[in-house]
Amino acid sequence: MRITVRYFARYRSLVGRGEEEIEVPEGTTVRDLIETLRRKYPVLRNEVFAEEDDLADVHVSKNGRYVSFDEVLREGDKVAIFPPVSGG
Amino acid sequence: MLSGRELERYDRQITMFGTDGQEKLKNSKVAVVGVGGIGSPVAYYLAAAGVGTLLLVDNQKPELSNLNRQLLHWEEDVGKNSKVESARWKLERFNGDIVVETFAGELNGDNIDGVLEGVDVIVDCLDNFKTRYLLDDYAHRKMVPLVHGAVEGTFGQVTTIVPRITKSLREIFPDMKETEESFPVLGATAGVVGSLQAMEVIKLLTGLGEPLLNKLLLIDLAFNTFEVVELR
Repeated sequence: MRITVRYFARYRSLVGRGEEEIEVPEGTTVRDLIETLRRKYPVLRNEVFAEEDDLADVHVSKNGRYVSFDEVLREGDKVAIFPPVSGG
Repeated sequence: MLSGRELERYDRQITMFGTDGQEKLKNSKVAVVGVGGIGSPVAYYLAAAGVGTLLLVDNQKPELSNLNRQLLHWEEDVGKNSKVESARWKLERFNGDIVVETFAGELNGDNIDGVLEGVDVIVDCLDNFKTRYLLDDYAHRKMVPLVHGAVEGTFGQVTTIVPRITKSLREIFPDMKETEESFPVLGATAGVVGSLQAMEVIKLLTGLGEPLLNKLLLIDLAFNTFEVVELR
């Protein structure tokens, strides 16, 4: 199935595009998607995504609604990934 | 009661929310915690709007590298006055009808109840999540709304926490790492996020519009992005 991934803030700069469609297997969760993106873009793994068991650096919304890493994705979903920031 | 001078000064916004709304602003006390990049526009616009009492909280002195974004601090303040005194000096001259209180220290579990006593809204203009969690805990203990904002580069986020109605800041951002000391940021980004936060305060106090309750506004000014994420 195909889904749309949108990249925000420094993820967008690192990936070099604002959004793209990607093909993922049926039953893919947000956690699986993050792993797919880490493989596709090593720069994400190295610089901004958290280590294996700790995905807390990445925030994810699906179709405009905040979701957990266990959320199951469906055909046509629009997934946005963004890094929370903390500067003032 | 509003004076003749106040009725004239705030005429353009009284036409929006009436003298009732203006009096609500006048009778309110708002804490601006962190008087830096986003705290500057927040304090400036709340002073301009006529919020009766502003409490400024910060423990630092302005540095030269702050001046690309921290509009309340000028060259003459660098290395001299505390940020809260620097800000108070300008805000009192900008609007003589408001009261500006200051706390030049670091908030901690022991002093926060005393410092924030009687505040109607807290504005989070901090640069670290350790103190943000402290504000979040206080807000929930005392049932005070908390307007959160943060920036980095051209990116920013804003949401408003209202105890019992919205998620807490801890629930939204549970595991934030500590900020690097010199994160990149443009003054204009801090200006937009600070203006959005000032707007949140005015909405909460006057009843105008709809605050960002259980909504996280994400902006990226480099790519003209304004995105509202539902948090429920």
